[in-house]
Amino acid sequence: MDFQEILAHHLLDHPIVKLARIGGTTLTLTEHLLMMWIVGAVLIVSLSFAARSETGAGKRLRTAVEAILIYIRDSILEPVFHERTHAYLPYFLTLFFFIFTCNLAGLVPYGATATGNISVTGGLALCTFMLMQFAGIKEQGLLSYLKHIAPSGVPWPVLIILYPIEILGMFVRCIALTIRLFANMISGHIVALSFLSLIFIFGAMSKPVGFMVALPAVVLALFISLLDVLVGLLQAYIFTILTALFVGEAVHPH
Amino acid sequence: MEKLLQPDFGLMFWTIVTFLALVYVLGKFAWGPLLYAIERREHHMREEREGAERAREGAQKIQADLEAKLAGLDAKAREVLADAQKEADALRARHSAEAQREAEQLMAKTRQGLEEEKRRLVGELRREVADLSVAAAEKLMRKTVDADVRKTVLDQFFQDIEKGGGKN
Repeated sequence: MDFQEILAHHLLDHPIVKLARIGGTTLTLTEHLLMMWIVGAVLIVSLSFAARSETGAGKRLRTAVEAILIYIRDSILEPVFHERTHAYLPYFLTLFFFIFTCNLAGLVPYGATATGNISVTGGLALCTFMLMQFAGIKEQGLLSYLKHIAPSGVPWPVLIILYPIEILGMFVRCIALTIRLFANMISGHIVALSFLSLIFIFGAMSKPVGFMVALPAVVLALFISLLDVLVGLLQAYIFTILTALFVGEAVHPH
Repeated sequence: MEKLLQPDFGLMFWTIVTFLALVYVLGKFAWGPLLYAIERREHHMREEREGAERAREGAQKIQADLEAKLAGLDAKAREVLADAQKEADALRARHSAEAQREAEQLMAKTRQGLEEEKRRLVGELRREVADLSVAAAEKLMRKTVDADVRKTVLDQFFQDIEKGGGKN
């Protein structure tokens, strides 16, 4: 019984088939990539269906999605983007629903948590970084954007120190985004797996003790899994709102 | 387990491609129609609210107009009433003055009538008394005084009475 092997099996990504090779990087179809595609397909099908239905389950899904949509529009984006909200809305809605669904997909049997992979969260944070640059340049113009990376009204010797710090800050924010989502998603799984592994660890020592540990361990693992539903929603929300704040800072000169 | 923190650039690339493609596809097939429906509904609701507000403003205006009109009518009614009162007062004053005058006239006439009657009665009485006096005097003097003297004396007497009666 190798605990590390169990964790690796459940948490790490597994290659399925190599698709292509560009330079030193292999583009492999992995388990997590497959999950992302499945999540993407589910989102496209269910949301397109919901957007067009007027009755039944589609209507109920649509009502729920509309509530989240209006919340993201009015409470997260409106204070940051004001009249430009409409242009950025699809990006943030997709970001929230993609992360949320990926988080939940890990709780489905045979599913895997793509957002529990640092490359996936890194990719999403890189998208945030690119959006910061894109939106900053688009809304302010290139020169104004570069000028306003550091706060204005600061004497130039300070600016020499401040400019690299601000640029570094952009990267740090995105790295923090990467690690926050990754760590939050993987920690729940680690804890739940640890509880379940307790059964086998005690079972290896003596069978009756193993049976006695089983019930509380399963209850606790279930509790952690339920907690993961909440954490999944919360982290999707946090990733979305932080992205909005960072992009908002790039858009409005300070 | 150190593989957990090892970034896989291939997967990162795939993530970015997948995510951006999803942004595009969902934007076209899901968010577009959803947002369109929401905005149309919000527009509809806003219009309805504005319509209701306009209707309420109209109703308020009508109410204010009516109230103003009512107040005007009230003032007018009060004015008319005051005029009527004034006219009635004037009429009453005129009537009472007339009545008084009539009463005074009547009283004066009555007084005059009474005065005349009194004078007439006094005259009559005076003549009666004179006749009685004469009769008495005649009876008394029949034997002593002849007719001529009597006549002279009596005439004198009557003249005196006439003079005295004028004073009375």
